[in-house]
Amino acid sequence: MKRDEIEADLLDWMRASPWRRDDERFARLALALFRFQYEACEPYARFCRSLGRTPSEVERFEEIPAVPTGAFKEFDLCCFDPKRTIKTFRTSGTSSDRRGQLHLDTLELYEASLLSSLRETLVDDLIGTRPTMRFLAPSAEASPDSSLSHMFEILREAEGGPASEFDLRDENLDLESLEASIAHARTDDSPILLLGTSFAFVHLLDAAESSEGRSRGNPWRLPAGSRVMETGGFKGRSREVPRDVLRADLARRFALPESAVVNQYGMTELGSQFYDSTWVDPRGPRRKLAPPWTRVRFVDPATEREVAPGDVGLIVIHDLANTGSVAALQTADLGRAVRDDDGESTGFDVIGRLEGAEERGCSIATDVMLEASQGTLRT
Amino acid sequence: MTRIEITWPDEGTERVRAARGRLEQAAHALRAMSFEERLQVGRRVVESWTLPDAPWRRDLVAGWAADSTLHEETLREGLESALAAWDADRFTECARRELEAESRLLSPFDWTAIVAGGGVPMPTMLNALIPLVLGSPVLMREASNDHVTGAWLRRCLDAIDERFGRAFESLGFASTDTALDVLLEAPCVVATGSDETIRSIESRLGPQQRFVAFGHQFSIVVLGPGLAHDAARSNEAARGIALDVARWDQMGCLSPVVVYLVDFDSKDASEVTRQVANALEEISKRMPRGELEMSVSASHATERAEARMRASSDRGLLVEGADFTLVLEADAQPRPAPLHRFLRLMPVESVESLERELRPFDGHLSNVASVGFEADDAAEIQSRLSRFGVSRWTGPGRMQTPPIDWPHDGRPVFTPFARFTQRD
Repeated sequence: MKRDEIEADLLDWMRASPWRRDDERFARLALALFRFQYEACEPYARFCRSLGRTPSEVERFEEIPAVPTGAFKEFDLCCFDPKRTIKTFRTSGTSSDRRGQLHLDTLELYEASLLSSLRETLVDDLIGTRPTMRFLAPSAEASPDSSLSHMFEILREAEGGPASEFDLRDENLDLESLEASIAHARTDDSPILLLGTSFAFVHLLDAAESSEGRSRGNPWRLPAGSRVMETGGFKGRSREVPRDVLRADLARRFALPESAVVNQYGMTELGSQFYDSTWVDPRGPRRKLAPPWTRVRFVDPATEREVAPGDVGLIVIHDLANTGSVAALQTADLGRAVRDDDGESTGFDVIGRLEGAEERGCSIATDVMLEASQGTLRT
Repeated sequence: MTRIEITWPDEGTERVRAARGRLEQAAHALRAMSFEERLQVGRRVVESWTLPDAPWRRDLVAGWAADSTLHEETLREGLESALAAWDADRFTECARRELEAESRLLSPFDWTAIVAGGGVPMPTMLNALIPLVLGSPVLMREASNDHVTGAWLRRCLDAIDERFGRAFESLGFASTDTALDVLLEAPCVVATGSDETIRSIESRLGPQQRFVAFGHQFSIVVLGPGLAHDAARSNEAARGIALDVARWDQMGCLSPVVVYLVDFDSKDASEVTRQVANALEEISKRMPRGELEMSVSASHATERAEARMRASSDRGLLVEGADFTLVLEADAQPRPAPLHRFLRLMPVESVESLERELRPFDGHLSNVASVGFEADDAAEIQSRLSRFGVSRWTGPGRMQTPPIDWPHDGRPVFTPFARFTQRD
């Protein structure tokens, strides 16, 4: 199969609603995409050869070599002539850091994937109603290399109402504008969506707490049917808050059930994202839902073999939306599959990288050495 | 019969308060001793840890072996070698050198709080002993991964002089426990841990409190071009580096995380990498690496995969042993240090470029082991890197065995814990 044939098949799959899992289709497309990417991306081909896993040796998609996400900082992992690049997304960091880069020569698949996931897991009941969406992130114009800002912009264009705006400007959260927008939604009794980075929400929570008592009632109470989507870590940009604490604090502050607070697991290097299940399945266990054109595996970091179902392992993602780069990625995160009573996988949990990390005294651990250097360079 | 366990909400706080009460009583006897008497008890304590075949050392090894993920032989070798390098004479000489002055009187803090940290017991042992010698009782919060050293110290001190034993209390409680607030009321607080932990503790202290903090540090090896054509010296250095990495599974700030290769061509760099790999392989036979936690294992897997990717494009070399990982990098860019026998070797063109690469780590450098330089070059390296806060220069194989009077983080040994009164 050629790349355009693979992409045409994928676009059909992404545009179909509801999602339909199809293992045979996934395996066929994954192996075809691997063959294409092996031929088109030389650093990836060299990596595969060093592992002795080339297309002639790989029979199952699980055997496709997964590149570590950090490799996007060091190699241009793209399967097209760089001159055809129309968009480059970069991981967060300062100009002095090495930043991961995802180059794209088309946005069609990328945008189809992100919209499909949002429509299936976060705005399923609001399609066509154009609700107000407020984004606690810089606009795509202000931050052209941010995949998150781009995603928000595409969502705003596709589903957002006229009052949908980006509330992070010049690294400042415009709380007055956001508060006014919430007050308006309350008056209209129409749902409003707040979407943004976790650290921006922490700043909002802190500001809301410090202004508590100055106004009557809770100015941050959201109307019924509203929801919050938060994503990403903190990386020293706010105080660190455990995910479940952040969720509970957000639910309390916005007077929402916790099921209306949805976390997104995503990364710049991926074309697809994974959302908490609780908006569409509030009674089931909270888990990340995987779009059908992705597969999430969990491997033992020591042996690199798949762990037993439900055991914790390093997260490996096969994302067919990554046609122009590399579809198989080894993340630095730990997670585990969530299964139903029949043993069928219904999603997964992200446990995080550092859970259980021991106290290390004065030795420099993990990426602290790197952070130390970056911290110094920033000053 | 149903057994109901009730934990009183502020049990930890009450335990700390009760310990403080006991220490107040013990302080009288401790301060009734002259400084010289206390110093002699301190000397006997150090001897009980350091003399050949000292029973207290055996006891500590046995305790740690039962409660640590480190292999028993790694523990035994680490403790034996570290404590063999300590000397009771140097301890007392150091105390006199730093503390004795005609015009100054020691004015001990009412009590000293220690927030212990880390996977190596020696700093905890010394930090606990010094305030006692100075006349200040000690209340210590155990490190969350060391439930051995505190109780062992108490037994050891009790056995040598019960006035010291009674003046030392050790408790375990979570860092989120309100008991920590009571502990941090001490007029002198000593803490070892991550920079984040140190900042968090510091933010809770008042301006009148003494704070002795040991934050994040790391150590490096610098190899010079003199090794390139000297197989015997190069192999000896490799064996020393391997020992420094294997000791404590690289878990102390004295363990090297990077070996900088100054002015090595790629062939020589590969050769040194293989020599270190061989030495680590050999050492692992008698000192296997301990079990890795999942998060550490994940960190290793991530760094190995990235190194494998670079190596496949001829950007460096990856050597994966059963108990170690070595990465010869193509450049000296800062990269994560996952510890647990994960070592990077990084080429630099010259001493000037080494200085440039290390500049971002100003204040974080602890020990440097260097070999393979002419005397002039060695002096120049010392001069250039000392400004980054290097507190000890040594050779490969000796990084984890500093003398007892080594100025940890560049500070004197006793003085930071002491308070003085001037007598005109």
